[in-house]
Amino acid sequence: MADIPVGTPLAAPLARQRTLLVGTVFGTAAALMYFAALFGVYLRERSDALADGGSWIPAGADIQLAQPTVAAWTMLMSVVTMQWAVYSIARDDRTHAILATALTTLFGFSVVITTSFQYTQMGLVADESIAAVLIYTISGSHLAMIAVGLVFLLLMAFRALGGQYSSRQTDGFVAASVFWYAVVFVYVVIWTAIFVLK
Amino acid sequence: MTLTETRPEPDAIATGDDFGPTAPSSPHQWTPPTGLAGILSTGDHQVVGRLYVLFALLLSGLALVLGVLIGIERADIDGGFGLFGQANELFQIFGLYRTTLILCGLVPLFLGLATAVIPRQLGASSVAFPRAAAAAFWTWLVGAITHIAATFSYGGLGSLQAGAAREQSVELTVLSLGMIGLGLLAGAGVIFATIVTQRPAGMDLLQVPAFSWSMLVATGVWLFSLPVLLANLVVSWVDMRGADAQGFGGGDAPFEQVAWAFDAPQVYAWTIPMLGIVAEVFTSAHRSRPQMFEPMAFIVGVFGFFSFGAWAQSFFDSANPLASDAHIVTNEVVFTAFGLAIAVVVLAYGGWLAFNAVSAGQRPRITPQFALIAISGALLTAAAVVGVLRVAEPALGVLREFDEDVWRGFFDAMDDLESSSLVTGVMNFAVLGGLLAAVGGLYHWAPRLLGRPLNVPLGFLSVLPLAGGAILIGLTDVLSGLFDQPARPYETSGIADIDSLGFVEALNVIGLIGSIAVLGGLALVALNVARSLTLPVEAEADRGGDA
Repeated sequence: MADIPVGTPLAAPLARQRTLLVGTVFGTAAALMYFAALFGVYLRERSDALADGGSWIPAGADIQLAQPTVAAWTMLMSVVTMQWAVYSIARDDRTHAILATALTTLFGFSVVITTSFQYTQMGLVADESIAAVLIYTISGSHLAMIAVGLVFLLLMAFRALGGQYSSRQTDGFVAASVFWYAVVFVYVVIWTAIFVLK
Repeated sequence: MTLTETRPEPDAIATGDDFGPTAPSSPHQWTPPTGLAGILSTGDHQVVGRLYVLFALLLSGLALVLGVLIGIERADIDGGFGLFGQANELFQIFGLYRTTLILCGLVPLFLGLATAVIPRQLGASSVAFPRAAAAAFWTWLVGAITHIAATFSYGGLGSLQAGAAREQSVELTVLSLGMIGLGLLAGAGVIFATIVTQRPAGMDLLQVPAFSWSMLVATGVWLFSLPVLLANLVVSWVDMRGADAQGFGGGDAPFEQVAWAFDAPQVYAWTIPMLGIVAEVFTSAHRSRPQMFEPMAFIVGVFGFFSFGAWAQSFFDSANPLASDAHIVTNEVVFTAFGLAIAVVVLAYGGWLAFNAVSAGQRPRITPQFALIAISGALLTAAAVVGVLRVAEPALGVLREFDEDVWRGFFDAMDDLESSSLVTGVMNFAVLGGLLAAVGGLYHWAPRLLGRPLNVPLGFLSVLPLAGGAILIGLTDVLSGLFDQPARPYETSGIADIDSLGFVEALNVIGLIGSIAVLGGLALVALNVARSLTLPVEAEADRGGDA
């Protein structure tokens, strides 16, 4: 190997490929497009039902705003903890990064529990109206999205525990946060379009 | 200070994440499994690409067999359902023809070529997520096999028999189509991430080869289309799980929900990669490099934009008369604009090819792949031009919102085109054009993909039935559409409106001959691939192709 003279400037480091981040952005965009299509059908059906002079939510169903609002605030709080995790890992503070990820995961679980509880309370029978079909499809799909987000977060937390992420490599946490923000965004739209507007 | 020590060999460095901790190397050499276990567990992009191509060709063949069966049925339009017995069974095969041809044939064929070729085009060692690529392939394949099996088990995308007990196989058909969509979406994500992240330093996106660029555009458009298809299927499936379907899962609604994927403009979106294949084979045949690459990249991007068609579905249309007028006008203006724009973009692409032919200053080298891409370009042009007729009825509809009698009489013939077999003609022209381009790409990259070139005389022999058959299929669909043959052969109510029934039946027989010819051509391609696999693998330096 040839000698390198003293004082030779080092070559600029190659930019990291950010493969996981790009892949996650692709998946997140696909998930958002999926929900955009569902909301398109939902809002169109709702508009038609109301224009005909009928009610959108079938008689006998009681959709309270309390549980969805609690869930929405929980989701919004998880944005703070998620960003806390990204902030911490970028500063080599693994303890806080894992703590913040654990809190985000806890918030996610609590939204699953809140939504499940609401299912038992609202008296909406799935095969009796178009509204019920669409509400269960959208909120059920969102539960699946939360589940994917939780698995993603737990995976990143375990990899951080193993020392894989640091200020030099934050892609996993940034990618998980991008997906999680999309989870929160979709819930805010659900809260507005389904539970507030009814 | 001088650096004189020799760096450790890469084998001595622990594998794993580049930024993670290192671990001592294992004293035992791991050997990858071989045989069937090797194929099932492989993450090698070349092997996954070959598997995609192999199964996509097989399933394209199956789709063409279904096309032949539908052709036999249409050869005697007013004779009842002689071959299928019932309208519902024809409806099942009609839907399966579309899903198999596009989502089990054309799209995975492009993905297979991309998985095998694009890393080499970019100078990368593999695709971005090799295991995800393998998982996407197996998801797609299992979904495709389940979808076909479920349809043949009296499934299909819905049922025409009102009040009949719903077959569980209908649910399985819908679910498996979702699985196909999920697999294709994951495969598209892998290709997208590969092109974005695996380029060498200094190569920007406008410096990637034409096929890579077209795949970047295609996967971008599929990213916005396939999730909508999945949403349609999930709503249908949830609805049909209940005791009484509320509108999304009942009757033939599941098919109606996904019909936009087989109609203009979305049908063009499935063919976007053909623009890259045509560009590469065309310039290679002229022994030149692509001139004016940026305008071509722009044209492909614009083609991608105007081919996005997930919005053009009736489930986004309002049934409310107060809201629908304005909405339908807007919808149809956009629909018409997209149809016209596609034709302009395809002509612009033809202009780019002509410019490159003139710039090269020499005659092209005539090869099977050149003949195939020339015909595929002609088929896409035909699809785009006929697509203008396809949007004539919506355009007239918009004009008649303002004046009931505008062009009444002269353009009356356009009134029923939207529901005629002209729509099928647009689909067949575009999709078969894409299929021919993909086969052209297979010939072009065979030395890289298979390690051996394909036989040239056998290649020329396959061009004739493929090209002739594809033209016959598309042309007879368009012509019979002008005579008001309904797009959906199971709808008997439209038979009375057909002008010159005998002539239309004769056209259908010619179309049937075309289907058999394409099937024969595809069999010759499969024979050629099988024959090449018996030859010894060429040395890397001897391989042709431009990958």
